[in-house]
Order: sequence, then C-alpha cells, then structure tokens
Amino acid sequence: MFRNAELELVEERARASLGTWERRSLGVVRAEDAAEFARAAGESTPRLVDPGHADFAVHPMYVVSLLRGAPGADASEFRPDGMYRDEVPGTDGLGVRLMAGGQAVRWIAAARAGDRIELRRALTGVERKGSGEGFVLLTVEKVYGSVRGTLVEVTERFIVR
Amino acid sequence: MTDRHISVGQAVLPVGLTPDAITLLRFGAVTRNAHRIHYDTEFARSEGLAGPVVMAQLHGCLFYRAAAQFAGEGGQVREVEWQNRAPAGVGERLVVTGTVRSVGGVDGEITLDLVERCGSGDVVCCRGRAVVVPG
Repeated sequence: MFRNAELELVEERARASLGTWERRSLGVVRAEDAAEFARAAGESTPRLVDPGHADFAVHPMYVVSLLRGAPGADASEFRPDGMYRDEVPGTDGLGVRLMAGGQAVRWIAAARAGDRIELRRALTGVERKGSGEGFVLLTVEKVYGSVRGTLVEVTERFIVR
Repeated sequence: MTDRHISVGQAVLPVGLTPDAITLLRFGAVTRNAHRIHYDTEFARSEGLAGPVVMAQLHGCLFYRAAAQFAGEGGQVREVEWQNRAPAGVGERLVVTGTVRSVGGVDGEITLDLVERCGSGDVVCCRGRAVVVPG
C-alpha cells in the first residue's frame, strides 16, 4: 500500500475510534522495579533508587513510562518495528513510521509500592499536519489510577508518518 | 512552603545525562519498550534517523529531575510537559536548563520554562514546562 493511502487509513481508523475509552492493567507496582527504573533513568537520589530506604518513593515517572505491566506481551502483540500493535491507535498492520511527539504529565497523587495500576485511555485528537503527504498527529488522554483513585493524568502525542 | 526568594527569570540549574546504548537497553527493558528505533541501528536508519534514539520517557525523566531539583527538599512537582523537537542519539549529552516563567500561582505554585539541548551543537531536542511548589 502507498504511504499516503496508509496515512489516510490511519486517519480514518483513528477518527472512528475518537473518544472511545479502553482499559489496561499495568499490574502491581513493585518497589524493586521502580528503583530499577530510577537507576536506569540516571537517578542517584537514595529515596528513589534504594527500596530499603526509610523514605523510599516510587519515581513519579515510573508508572507513566510503563508500556506494559508484568508479565509483558506475547510475540503476536508486537508490530515488526517492535512497538505494541495497539499502542498507537489506528496503526495496527500498517507500515507507517511512529514517533513520540511529547507528553504532559499531571500528578494527582503518588503511586506507591503495592498499588495495582489501571490505565484508562482514549484517543481525543486526530490532525493531518505538514505539507505533501505530511503526517498524522494523534492525541491520547491517559488516566492512571488505583483503588485510591486517580494518580496521574497524561496527554500524549504520537506522530505517524 | 519555602521562604526562598524566587523571581521571574531566575535560572533553573542544569541537569544532565549522557545515555549510551546500555542506558537505553536498561530503560527499554524496565519500561517494556521494544521499539527498534531505540537499539537497532540499521532499523533506525531505515526510519530516516541517524541511529538509535533516546526514548521520550527518558527525556521526561530529565525534565522531571530538573523540576524536582528546583523544587528542592520537601518540594513538589505537580506537572511536567515536554514536546519532542529533534531526536537525540545514543551517546549525546542531554542537558535540561530553564528559567522561572511565573510565581505566585495556586498554593505557591511556580511555573518553569524548560529546554533540553543535546550534543555538541546544543540542538534543542525538547521544550517544555513544569509546575512546582518549592519545599
């Protein structure tokens, strides 16, 4: 399929799914995993990288950076480019290129070790941008919560070329 | 709340990170991000990139760290936002700097304008903002 036709299909599929909320479990936050995340991100603050620290805190970016919870995904859930087939709405099965456009993260409450995290997300914006074939800019709203209520809200943008 | 004097235009101290291939592998593994543009050079080039690139969430972590450092001990980071402007490659030095945009918001909130530059050419790879309450 020609790239422009693929982008048109992405746009059509995306518009059809606008405003539809879906849910995904990200599993239970483990202190050790959050500490490993903090270390991988270059942190050295003891309360973020040492699960045994008296004031240990889950790195605030940890939960919102997780693309999947444990135990991960089956091989069938990946695109050939390594992204999850359902990560960027409207792109499943198409050879389009995917790039992150940016995020806005708003913390309501801190995630804690032991929290079972549920993600709700919906596509809320579809725009065709640029000249020529251009690209499709998708806006996704995400809400991360636990039994304690909403923890974090995220607005994420994806560029589909 | 802090008794620090904070004024518009005040600098946000820089925070930096030089993510190498190992950093990206570790970060990708712990976030379960298998997108090949982050570790497969040939694939990244086929996508029009110079090579593997830094994950968006890792940029976000650096923005968060700059905001948290500014907020100080006992402070709060309430919001962090960034837009990707240019890809950052493996081994490039990333530095987030910024200035205070406004003071005196709700509950003493302060808004920071932040920018992340990468590599020796100081290319702007992300721009963003953060809302903090200093400790």
